[in-house]
Amino acid sequence: MVTAQPKPTNHPLAEYIHRLESGGTLVPNTPENLLEVVGILKSYGVVLDAYSKNLIYIAEHQFLVLFPFFKYFNGEINFRKLLRHWFHDRINFEYAEYCMKAMFWHGGGGLDKYLDTPEFQQRAQAVIQAKFKNNPIMRGINQLFPDFLIEQLRVSAYYSGLGQFWRVMADIFLNLSDRYEQGEIKSIPQVVDHIKAGLVANANKPITYAVKIRGQVYEIIPASVGLTFLADTAVPYVEAVFFRGTPFPGTVSFNAQAYQVPPDQARFQYGALYADPLPIGGAGIPPTLLMQDMRHFLPEYLHEIYRRGPRGEDDLRVQICMSFQKSMFCVTTAAILGLMPYPADTKNPEEQRLNRVYLQKWMDRLIPSRLQEVNS
Amino acid sequence: MLSALILLPLLGAVTINFLPLGRTKLPLSEKPRSRSVPDGIRARLRRVAFVFASLTFLWAIILTSRFDVTVANQQFSEFLPWIDALGLSYNLGVDGLSLPLVLLNGLLTCIAIYSSDEDLQRPRFYYSLILLLNAAVTGAFLAQDLLLFFLFYELELIPLYLLIAIWGGQKRGYAATKFLIYTAVSGILILASFLGLVWLSGAPSFALKTLDTSAVPLATQILLLVGILIGFGIKIPLVPFHTWLPDAHVEASTPISVLLAGVLLKLGTYGLIRFGLYLLPQAWTYVAPFLAIWAVVSVLYGASCAIAQKDMKKMVAYSSIGHMGYVLLAAAAATPLSILATVMQMLSHGLISALLFLLVGVVYKKAGSRDLDVLGGLFNPERGMPVIGSLMVVGVMASAGIPGMFGFIAEFMVFRSSFAVFPVQTLLCMIGTGLTAVYFLILMNRAFFGRLSAQVTNLPRVYWSDRAAAIVLAVLIVVLGIQPRWLVHWTEATTTTMVLNASNGIANTSFVKTKGQN
Repeated sequence: MVTAQPKPTNHPLAEYIHRLESGGTLVPNTPENLLEVVGILKSYGVVLDAYSKNLIYIAEHQFLVLFPFFKYFNGEINFRKLLRHWFHDRINFEYAEYCMKAMFWHGGGGLDKYLDTPEFQQRAQAVIQAKFKNNPIMRGINQLFPDFLIEQLRVSAYYSGLGQFWRVMADIFLNLSDRYEQGEIKSIPQVVDHIKAGLVANANKPITYAVKIRGQVYEIIPASVGLTFLADTAVPYVEAVFFRGTPFPGTVSFNAQAYQVPPDQARFQYGALYADPLPIGGAGIPPTLLMQDMRHFLPEYLHEIYRRGPRGEDDLRVQICMSFQKSMFCVTTAAILGLMPYPADTKNPEEQRLNRVYLQKWMDRLIPSRLQEVNS
Repeated sequence: MLSALILLPLLGAVTINFLPLGRTKLPLSEKPRSRSVPDGIRARLRRVAFVFASLTFLWAIILTSRFDVTVANQQFSEFLPWIDALGLSYNLGVDGLSLPLVLLNGLLTCIAIYSSDEDLQRPRFYYSLILLLNAAVTGAFLAQDLLLFFLFYELELIPLYLLIAIWGGQKRGYAATKFLIYTAVSGILILASFLGLVWLSGAPSFALKTLDTSAVPLATQILLLVGILIGFGIKIPLVPFHTWLPDAHVEASTPISVLLAGVLLKLGTYGLIRFGLYLLPQAWTYVAPFLAIWAVVSVLYGASCAIAQKDMKKMVAYSSIGHMGYVLLAAAAATPLSILATVMQMLSHGLISALLFLLVGVVYKKAGSRDLDVLGGLFNPERGMPVIGSLMVVGVMASAGIPGMFGFIAEFMVFRSSFAVFPVQTLLCMIGTGLTAVYFLILMNRAFFGRLSAQVTNLPRVYWSDRAAAIVLAVLIVVLGIQPRWLVHWTEATTTTMVLNASNGIANTSFVKTKGQN
């Protein structure tokens, strides 16, 4: 039986809509792309693993610490580590914080809503009272500025939320690399399937947050709130970091007074999918930190490709960013396919139409992205 | 001792041409069809040329260490009778005016050889010509005989013409011919003036020490001086005799531009002081106000043209025209400090313009363009040339006379010394310094700042060998900007004595006579 496919669309990114409808991916399926995407996701997985551990450490051990000088030390403070920290030959946890702040600022999802509820305020106050039981100065500050310490705990909740999200993602990416090395992953669609399967498998994983003060556990985000991995951390993360941005400021300059910055946050397009990789390496460009971190964990097969580039290792971080952007389009493909209202191969014309509308909405947002460059 | 500075590079030129360097033995089937030199031999030729240039420079440094800074007159003099009937003798000497220029020539020749392309065609001929050029320029700076100076001055034209005509850009033939015609006219005027000086003063020979122009009528002196001014004005070059320079620079390869701007233009200003001010002091005082006006025209015209340029190299070339105008201004003022300032400005311009041309050369080599409409964002830390850009910042800051750089010292001395004599002209020339900042900021902004231009996103790698020569020059520019005394003390005695003698109207008698006492 021949099933009628929807008519070709005249959308500027029609090529990608048709590609997704026919089971393809946003990134072309080539051996080079496969190698780049898997290789970079391996190093990203290692880095995310470190980021997530630190974010969770900060959330659980540095909460309500107003001057957390050693928050990047994960509790292990010694002179050698301090020297290494100053020398910057370390994981740049600052980048994880940029992403956390982006999520915090752009909000979205159940986590954002919950942090504005009376229940959270009540739980937060309990934590504050317990934490500063013997500290009259902080109790006084809490009386004078009742929102101040609660806001600190909201930030801590985001530390925890992103930490838990990246914990899952790190495992997905590292597992992907293992499967590739075992010969199980041989194409970009398989990469997307792997990520999609990981997202789906963990979709309902609960997101919780609790702290321990003097041996007593205080739940700030209890499981009963019903926050889950996909809807309350993954989707807001993709929205904040992939689309809207702020971890990528400085890659493009905008003049707010000339109305180059949209007044509506939802129209921001400064995220990872839009970022220009060329300024990577410059001061004040946060992705530089991520690329620096990934540089230490590149698999040899990918490193060798970079070395063969016209500038050798001189533009390593830019090359990493370019590969990273490809991999993020794979993750985006997985998210698009995972959230698709109906299976991509549906034979039902109405479902096909609704899928088309859904895909067009995604593509509308990707028009100014670097999708074309990634495919060129 | 001084002859070694001429003979060593000459020996190098001969050695490079005739020394068997061996050839890579290839099987018959792999014999190259062309007669091009294998890469290994090219590199070896460059090394040999560099060794000879370095030895020459080293010898110049040794002589400098033995140079008595308290003595105003010629030192390490050498004299050999040559053609008595013509009054020509092989007479060399070095004083505080010529010593820094000899050192500059040695340094820049080393840098030019070092920064030459490894894959250039006909390398034996190329390096021989560079060494010959070095010998000729050194000879001109050291010559104490007018005719000997002229011979070296003319000798330098041949290698330079060939270096532009053979290894230049697309319009190299045009540029080289234009250069040759202009400088040939310059040579004719200088020779005519020299002959006039000797015949009209009744000197028995062309030796500088035998010349006394005090008996020559003032009108005749002025006429002779005009000949010298135009002759060397073409070489400097001063507006309106400058049109050969931008073409020559644009078409010349980077190392030749370095030598051209760094050393060869200085032959003009050196000649102006040595043979104009020194031999015709009376006439000089009459024409000095006009020279100061001429300097203003050169400075402002050069700077204005530089602002309008889109080719980085042309911009630096016009900048040279402007900056050489400062030398003329200080020379016109003819005070002890101003003549010292001319030497400082010559050296400062030599180092700074060499640095700028080197950097423009690296940009062109890597990006394939010098067009400011094409380039952009070269400061990009990963895919651009951040170190080259940083060195360019040093170069343009020095050129714009930012304190802490050698350019500031030289320009400040020029303005400080000239202001008392020609206040209006000096103020107008100071506008030129402001304009230097304008055009170089345009250059920096368009070529180095902003997003990396789409046309140059895949630049080849920049190696430390590409940067090394520029780093040496940048360090010198900063060090001499902080401690100019190291240079000033070599020159001070000579320039002070020269001006004092000139102002007493006895420049060519007592000045030379004191030589024997030293």
